[in-house]
Amino acid sequence: MIIEAHELRKTFVVGRGRGKAREIEAVRGIDMEVERGEVFAVLGPNGAGKTTTVRMLATFTQPTAGQARVNGYDVVKEAGKVRASIGYVGQLGGVDEMTPAIENLMLAGRLAGMSKKQAKARAEELMAAFALTEIGNRPARTLSGGQKRRFAIAVGLVTAPPLIFLDEPTTGLDPQNRANLWEEVRKLRDQGTSVLLTTHYLDEADALCDRLVIVDHGKVVVEGTPEALKKEVAGDIVTVRLADGPAEGLEQARLLLTAEPYVREVVQEDELLRAYLDDGERGLPSVLRALDRDGLAIQSITLERATLDDVFLKHTGRSLRDAA
Amino acid sequence: MFKHATLILGYEVRGLLRNPIWPLFGIVQPVLYLVFFAPLLGSTVPGGSDSAVLAMLTPGMMLMIALFGSMFAGFSIMNDTRNGVLERLIVSQIWRPAIVLGRVLKDALALVIQAALIIAISMAMGLRVGALQALLMLALMAMTGLLAGSLSYGLAINIRDENAMSQIVQFMAMPLTLIAGLFLPVSLGPEWLQSVAKFNPLYYAVEAGRSLFRGDLGASTIPMAFALFTALCVLTVTWSVRSLRKLAG
Repeated sequence: MIIEAHELRKTFVVGRGRGKAREIEAVRGIDMEVERGEVFAVLGPNGAGKTTTVRMLATFTQPTAGQARVNGYDVVKEAGKVRASIGYVGQLGGVDEMTPAIENLMLAGRLAGMSKKQAKARAEELMAAFALTEIGNRPARTLSGGQKRRFAIAVGLVTAPPLIFLDEPTTGLDPQNRANLWEEVRKLRDQGTSVLLTTHYLDEADALCDRLVIVDHGKVVVEGTPEALKKEVAGDIVTVRLADGPAEGLEQARLLLTAEPYVREVVQEDELLRAYLDDGERGLPSVLRALDRDGLAIQSITLERATLDDVFLKHTGRSLRDAA
Repeated sequence: MFKHATLILGYEVRGLLRNPIWPLFGIVQPVLYLVFFAPLLGSTVPGGSDSAVLAMLTPGMMLMIALFGSMFAGFSIMNDTRNGVLERLIVSQIWRPAIVLGRVLKDALALVIQAALIIAISMAMGLRVGALQALLMLALMAMTGLLAGSLSYGLAINIRDENAMSQIVQFMAMPLTLIAGLFLPVSLGPEWLQSVAKFNPLYYAVEAGRSLFRGDLGASTIPMAFALFTALCVLTVTWSVRSLRKLAG
């Protein structure tokens, strides 16, 4: 295990000294285990406690309660050893804007005990790997968002740590840069680096991670591989919108579909019905026939694969898109 | 441990060298005072010679850049809390005090260079000062830089609000300037002013500087200033280093 966290909690006190101190429970008991070599995602809406969790694991923030070990070391009692085992790329990036980007890399190397020569060699190696060689001498403020993010990750990798934390690595990036960054993360896994990334993008967690936890309100909602989690919900989803007046027709259709043997569950979302099926291609004609039989006119019908949003919806009762 | 402080110092100094123009702006104001204000002081200084006037005014002008330059050093670290640089450094293998120490040393170094330039300009205008005295004054300036810089970083880390920070620095700088007798010795004023000045650390630095520039190496003001500044530096540097903990929440 590269990460083992048990009952991690963090409570912040805000407004101290102004009479009315208020406690905010950012993380309320998180358990997680990450295997060596895994890409592990913490998926959740904004404010779910993802960043605080990562900061505790990276020894930036002290937990209020609970234990965690990173690379076998206790994050509180052996923080120094934890720091030697990790790379940390925060949400803010941490690249000094005024300085040539290579200086950031060199400083990180020197602080980790490398000689000037070693630090330079390592910086050049990383810049080559991240296609940054030509822009390494420019002040970081002149770089694009994607370049800056690649530099931030390169800085996190200077010490070739066994584990790297990426806090919201693709937030604010355009689709092209996002795809590039996903490629970099996959390369890291191929090289055997464990990755813990946080994200509020479903597709990102789905595309990148071996396993994930979904967190909401500072707690783990569910844990597993993306495939297993989606399978648990259902293979496919048929979404139906009826042509006639909503209320009674919709309720009638809901009861009708619930009664069908191949339908696992039917959820009503506003004026839509979402029927969860194991095999959507085979089930769709039967859904159409069943609705037709009862004289319910369909305005539209779609068939989709289950996504992690459906997993989130099932476990929290709301869509991740609305949760933020 | 201290190697990390020198690494940060080197990093910061290279940053300074990429933009060496800004610290030069810092000495424009004191130089203007030397050029346009010193001639007005001929009648207030015993002897009234150019050299005597400059010996009186130059130490004050040097301390002025310490106040109005180094006290603003904290703004840079506030920026680093916002772009994540500090967060990254804190979870790196750095010896944490080096984060502040390296920067404070850079500010002290910059201040010493500025002060040396002011001495040079003042000498070109007619100031006569011995090498030892000048070096001791530069040492005192370095300590002033440490004090003002670490105070500024401590404030910045604790406040983390640019507007509040500039208000507080202005609020502190003005009375410190007036009550230290930066422009004219406090001894010219009434007794109550002299009593108030005794509570202002800068007063001791200015007095020590004037003793040095008069060539009076035996003056008690000199060891007094060095002792006081050493003690205060220890306090403010410790405070600013400890303040780093607050960042993590």
